[in-house]
Amino acid sequence: MANNNALALIETALRERKLDRTLTSALPPLERSDAAAFIPFGVEAIDAVLRGGLPRGQVSEIAGSPSSGRTTLLLQLLATATRGGEIAALVDTCDRLEVASAAAAGIDLDRLLWIRGESFDPLHSLRTRLCDRVLERAIKALTLVLQAGGFAIVAIDLADMHPRLLRSLPFTTWLRLQRIVEGSDTACLLVTPEPLARSAGGLTVMCTGQTTWTSQQTGSSQQTGSQQTGRGHRVTGLETEIRVVSPRRRVDGEVRFTAVANDY
Amino acid sequence: MFGALYAAEGTDHVVLESVAREFSPRIEVCGPREITLDLSGLARLFGDARTIADELRRTAADRGLRVRVAIAGTRTAAQLFVHHRAGITVVEPGTEADALSELPLLLLDELINPKTQNPNPKSQPPTTNYQPPTTTLRQWGLRTLGEFAALPADEVAARLGAAGVEWQRVARGEDRRPLVAAVPEERFEQTLELEWPIEGLEPLSFVLGRLMEPLSAHLERRDRGAAVLHVRLRLVTRAVHERSLELPAPMRDARTLRTLALLDLESHPPDAAIDRITVAIDPTPGRVVQFSLLTRPLPSPENLSTLAARLAALMGEGRCGSPELVDSWRPGAFAMKPFAPRDSIVIHSRHDTPRHRDTETRNLVTHLDASVPRCVVEVTAAAAPVVALRRFRTAMPARVRVEDGRPVRVWIDRRGFSGGRVATAAGPWRTSGAWWEEAPVAPKPRSGEHGPVAPKPRSGEGGPVAPKPRNGEHGPVAPKPRSGEGGWDRDEWDVALHDGVSYRLFRERDGDAWFVEGVVD
Repeated sequence: MANNNALALIETALRERKLDRTLTSALPPLERSDAAAFIPFGVEAIDAVLRGGLPRGQVSEIAGSPSSGRTTLLLQLLATATRGGEIAALVDTCDRLEVASAAAAGIDLDRLLWIRGESFDPLHSLRTRLCDRVLERAIKALTLVLQAGGFAIVAIDLADMHPRLLRSLPFTTWLRLQRIVEGSDTACLLVTPEPLARSAGGLTVMCTGQTTWTSQQTGSSQQTGSQQTGRGHRVTGLETEIRVVSPRRRVDGEVRFTAVANDY
Repeated sequence: MFGALYAAEGTDHVVLESVAREFSPRIEVCGPREITLDLSGLARLFGDARTIADELRRTAADRGLRVRVAIAGTRTAAQLFVHHRAGITVVEPGTEADALSELPLLLLDELINPKTQNPNPKSQPPTTNYQPPTTTLRQWGLRTLGEFAALPADEVAARLGAAGVEWQRVARGEDRRPLVAAVPEERFEQTLELEWPIEGLEPLSFVLGRLMEPLSAHLERRDRGAAVLHVRLRLVTRAVHERSLELPAPMRDARTLRTLALLDLESHPPDAAIDRITVAIDPTPGRVVQFSLLTRPLPSPENLSTLAARLAALMGEGRCGSPELVDSWRPGAFAMKPFAPRDSIVIHSRHDTPRHRDTETRNLVTHLDASVPRCVVEVTAAAAPVVALRRFRTAMPARVRVEDGRPVRVWIDRRGFSGGRVATAAGPWRTSGAWWEEAPVAPKPRSGEHGPVAPKPRSGEGGPVAPKPRNGEHGPVAPKPRSGEGGWDRDEWDVALHDGVSYRLFRERDGDAWFVEGVVD
């Protein structure tokens, strides 16, 4: 009798086509969702929208045009990681890092490995061999640091490289980096003028921003567009809007934040 | 059975020690002219105590030393006799107290003086206002060690304390502690003479591996790590190519040491073929490492050293490390230092963590601080991000139209930098400094400190041709080459162009040239 009842229940579930969901709903999710699997940006609004922050063990990107807030976001991320007791590395392809900005952002400079590329103007120079060499060295340095392991974030700043040069890199370059960090606690971050790697598991963020100014005479804040260039104007910050363009990473929408200016 | 050697003034301490080591491996250096030896087992080699003493004196005399020799059943008795009597003194074991009874009380001062008797003077705090023990005893009318030894021990303890009891034991010839043998200085060095000279790093790699293996094993046996690695290559030209690597942390892994040596030689290769290789190590006590359960472990110093060496070989010397702010008003000044992160424990601030977790973390930090020095990092609540500047190490020349003293249009002759009409500008912010320094003729930045490098006028690269400035327009009429040092005097402007990009510009006040310093991003 009991067996007949059990059989009837199974048949009912099969008829209603609910049995497959009953079985698979108990399986653990494919992606980790615990807090330790992400590196927070340290800004509550951003972390809430991105559901934790930058995922560990993935290749992520911050892309955007100049003055969009890419570097601000990068330094904020490095500051959160280093202040949390972890170490980070920055491959500075064109040697653009302003150390005072890094200190003002709160980065623990002792816990930051700064790898300086050659100081030249990649967007202007006609010496493409030099550009190729600089880019190749930067990618090699990035690979060395990722292979060494132990870093929370390993970022490479390609923001000032010509997009055509970056697009000429084989796509396997990014796949190789993904294979290196997969399964580790290291997040690889690319700062680029446009999305490149398009990692499935990583985060790809597009930044758009505008500098905010204020008039010392009126005390009001206004964005660019004004022709008034009185002595009292000064930069108060940078309003940045970030939009996640990753195809598979689920987020809750766009987020806007304002970075404040610092006297340096 | 113990012996004591006491040499004359001006004796070479090293020679005296070598004489003692010929007779016994267990010796203790008690002073610049005094050594005690453990003579256990020597009777089978030399015979009785008198013969051993004769041999000791004869060996010292052969080396040009004049020494007193005493042999007794205890070290203390041998030391007392060697301080009192010249020549050779031999005391039968068990009769030390009787033999010492007639010796003067002043001998206690020489033996108990903390400066000369403590084998580890650093382990005890320096004694101030030290009074010799015999001052009080002589006031009591005592003159010999026997008189002092005959006093009741409990009465001595009541008047002089535990120290008095100890002095009494010394007066009887009893040892206060066992002999602490001095360990001879070891050399961690391996040399290999090659039958055929070798060239190139690949064959050198095999040879270095062969030398590092026994060194690593030697270090492990002695629980030591390598602090400095010396590689000396004798070339076929009879020159010596020597490299010394200071390691960030004691290490003894043979592969790591070999890799570091090879990476360094890759950057500093020898000029000729090599026919002899010597590897020497300056040892240091090994690290005691205790990992934390609360924080992520840092990479080991071996991994970090290897990574730093590889990055230096790839990017160049001085291009990798941790940045450091310097005490300077010069725009963009910074220094580089080696990347050496320290372990840290994070304390979360109160307003973003549960109170009990904060308390537990603080309690843990308090406990650990007592034993291991830690760097405590405070994580404050999420603050607003700070606007970052992307600085051009070589400032880019620009042409700027100025109206009513303010920039209204910017031309930047660089691909990727469009320039355009100025939408908003803030400034000028005047900055100057180091005007008292003379600008050197040949730009030579100091090691570790960097500043804005002179934008030299280029040729053949499609750089700014420097067109003739129109009315109201200022440009790089003659961009003045500046070095990394010397004074600066300029007006800075923050400008936002019509396309939305914000730059930091500056105008050299002495040359009226405009440059782009960085991009606000």
